[in-house]
Amino acid sequence: MDLSEYVFRAQDLPMLLSVSLTCLYVGYLGILLILAIIDERRRERSTQTTRKLNPKLGFLGFLGFLGLIGFWSYGIDKSIFPFAFFIFFGFFGFFYEGKMSNTLMDERYKENQMQAHMTANRISLGIIFFAMLIVGQGKLIFSLEFTLITFFIVVVLALALEVFLSEYLLYRYDHDDSPEDI
Amino acid sequence: MPDFECRLKKYRQLKDMTQEQLAAQVGVRRETIMRLEKAQYNPSLKLAIDISRAVDAPIEEIFIFE
Repeated sequence: MDLSEYVFRAQDLPMLLSVSLTCLYVGYLGILLILAIIDERRRERSTQTTRKLNPKLGFLGFLGFLGLIGFWSYGIDKSIFPFAFFIFFGFFGFFYEGKMSNTLMDERYKENQMQAHMTANRISLGIIFFAMLIVGQGKLIFSLEFTLITFFIVVVLALALEVFLSEYLLYRYDHDDSPEDI
Repeated sequence: MPDFECRLKKYRQLKDMTQEQLAAQVGVRRETIMRLEKAQYNPSLKLAIDISRAVDAPIEEIFIFE
């Protein structure tokens, strides 16, 4: 459609109004989202507790199975972007983040958090490195296209694992033995 | 695991404090106090000083490094 040739007609008014209002509403939602994020950051800084989160959000991890659509879409139109949905497997970490919800972030928590992030990063980067080493030689999969697709899937899954492991390991380090009070 | 002996439990009981009360006073969680008492966690200097003030005992009496 060439808008330079557009001539205004009274019949177009409802459409123009509805599009304008929709744009304004989307902008309003965007501003609300930004304000909510700023407010949450400020709250986290001032209260020194972890964010409140429902562990049931961990079920969002099942969205990772959407990545399997990639096998179907590749057969249809050679598009591989649905494989990126595998990253949603990382949302299983919400189970553990939810369990640690509203926890005081004292020095031991921060130490454990750093250790958990470092371990998760090391494992994730290790997987990517070995995948590059093995798949990149081209001896396992002879087609360059399939090699790149395999590597893409491995990278996405490794990133999802990193997101999940960060929360899981933090929970494990924090709950590695039963509490007691004397 | 840190290689030290921790006598925090003894001094805390002398002051008639619970782990919860001590934790609230020094700004950490009860689990942190619990692990300190089991010598499973090596505290920062600031936390060690805060604890020593809270239980009214010298640091070197509470945390004994060999």
